[in-house]
Amino acid sequence: MVINQALSPRNNFHELKLVKKALESFYALGPQASARVLAKYSIHPRAKMGSLPPKTITALTAELSSMTIENEARRIVQDNIKRLRDIGTYRGRRHAMGLPARGQNTKNQIETAKRLNRVDRKG
Amino acid sequence: MSAPNCLRCLLQLRPSVALPRHLLVARSTAAIAIAWTAPFSTTTANNAKTGGGGSKDKTGGHIRAGKKIKLGKFKKNTTADRGKAPAPGERKAFRKKILLSNNNALPVPGLVDLTPEHMLDPQNAATVLSIPDAVVDQLRAVEAFKPTQCWGVFRKPSMLLRTETIDLMNRMKGAAKQKQTLRLVVTGDRITGKSMLLLQAMTHAFLNDWIVVNIPEGQELTTASTEYAAIPGSDPVRYMQQTYVLKLIQAIRKANEKVLSKLSTVQSHPELPQHIPVGSPLMQLANSAKEADNAWMIFQALWQELTARGRPPMLFALDGLSHIMKVSDYRSPAFELIHAHDLALVRLFVESLGGAGAFPNGGAVLAATSRGNSPRAPSMELALQQREAEQAKAADVPQPDPFFRGYDERVQAALRTVQVLKLSGISKLEARVLMEYWAASGILRTTVDESAVSEKWTLGGNGVVGEMERAALLTMRL
Repeated sequence: MVINQALSPRNNFHELKLVKKALESFYALGPQASARVLAKYSIHPRAKMGSLPPKTITALTAELSSMTIENEARRIVQDNIKRLRDIGTYRGRRHAMGLPARGQNTKNQIETAKRLNRVDRKG
Repeated sequence: MSAPNCLRCLLQLRPSVALPRHLLVARSTAAIAIAWTAPFSTTTANNAKTGGGGSKDKTGGHIRAGKKIKLGKFKKNTTADRGKAPAPGERKAFRKKILLSNNNALPVPGLVDLTPEHMLDPQNAATVLSIPDAVVDQLRAVEAFKPTQCWGVFRKPSMLLRTETIDLMNRMKGAAKQKQTLRLVVTGDRITGKSMLLLQAMTHAFLNDWIVVNIPEGQELTTASTEYAAIPGSDPVRYMQQTYVLKLIQAIRKANEKVLSKLSTVQSHPELPQHIPVGSPLMQLANSAKEADNAWMIFQALWQELTARGRPPMLFALDGLSHIMKVSDYRSPAFELIHAHDLALVRLFVESLGGAGAFPNGGAVLAATSRGNSPRAPSMELALQQREAEQAKAADVPQPDPFFRGYDERVQAALRTVQVLKLSGISKLEARVLMEYWAASGILRTTVDESAVSEKWTLGGNGVVGEMERAALLTMRL
């Protein structure tokens, strides 16, 4: 699995990288979740990857593989959009067209919508 | 539409002074025609050579370029050479650098090294004495010097003995003699010399062969910047800070080598990974702390040994008290904030300060508050005010605000029986002695007389030492 590959060998993250930042590099793992993961394993917020003992890294890897992050989380968002489109809602249609879904003007400034409002949403 | 030929290029055909006037008239009428045939003009030749000036056409005339749109005009040049970035930790090392001597400063004639008796004799109040070199090394090992103090402008680290210093040293000595523990909090306004008084207490302890354990900054323990872990089997859960404790053991070992090398263990410590039989040197126990993993265990064993009967007196000091009198920034596995008193090392200090863990060989537990960098700790402030009022036998002891919820019961309990030493400005006599020392070091460049002392003393908020420094040695800390 991608996550296992990402965290388990140390060399995927630089040893000077903050553990907090390393965790937050995963999709659907933000400041709140990372703070909780850190607290769970008694890692202080300023810990660097290099200072973690191998045991903790294994535990973190196990923890991450039990969380819905990366592709699983992306799929949930995509499924939600797909469902909206399939039942033919306005929001679903706007997503399919890559346009804002919440009544914004479309004369200009819709770059975010263009980027994100897609049926196969990536980010 | 604009003319294809650049006006500037035409103007370059201005006649030189040496030309005869009749030629000049003729030329000005046919200026455009001869623009690229003038034999004396070097413009086209130059342009052709450098490829500049926009004269790319075959005729050699300067064709005006249209307005060009320059994109990203306001973008910073990201490729600018910034030089070599400092290595990790280099900036911090520079920030925390402590310079203790300066060869450019004048040596002060008649400056005497401190002896153990000096700090006890009331006759020596208001004198400047220097710290012996051996003690300087020990003080450095326990991080007693602060980067904010201006040691680096004098020839040799020296300090002013104030009346408070002599008073505190005598109290420390009295407590040690009766095998009691002096538990005291040094408080006072900003830059009145609280950390300096701690340093003087440590100097006294080193000079008298005490054991000194110093926590240089309370905030290092509670701002969640060092590793922590729950102590297995503790109930309620306590947390150890392995990396910090390892550093502390090494500081203890380095600073107290002289005392520790004479002592040997009196207890067996079966829980330690390394077998240390009864009667082995204490240095061996201290040296066995090599990794953070078992540092806390070794620290506990070392502490038991140091507080066993028959040991020298001990000084346990901490600066920045309010940082350990609050809820820390660490979080438990259940994501609750950990109270600072649940951190084992902090707890050890707080218990010693509160009187629960008295030292059987006597000694002192000193804490200093900080005004520059301190989070609000209402309970601590209140408790210190109360103790101060009780000490002064004041009629009205400050009472807690009944409408305020931020008080902390554990903090109040910890500070229920401490003594408080409030520092304020120095006297004019002390100010004079200090300024004479500055002048003798060549830093203060005025004559030190009554009016100069008075002026600086007043400018310094009635003798607040740090403010006097600012007023007199202007560039030092501003």
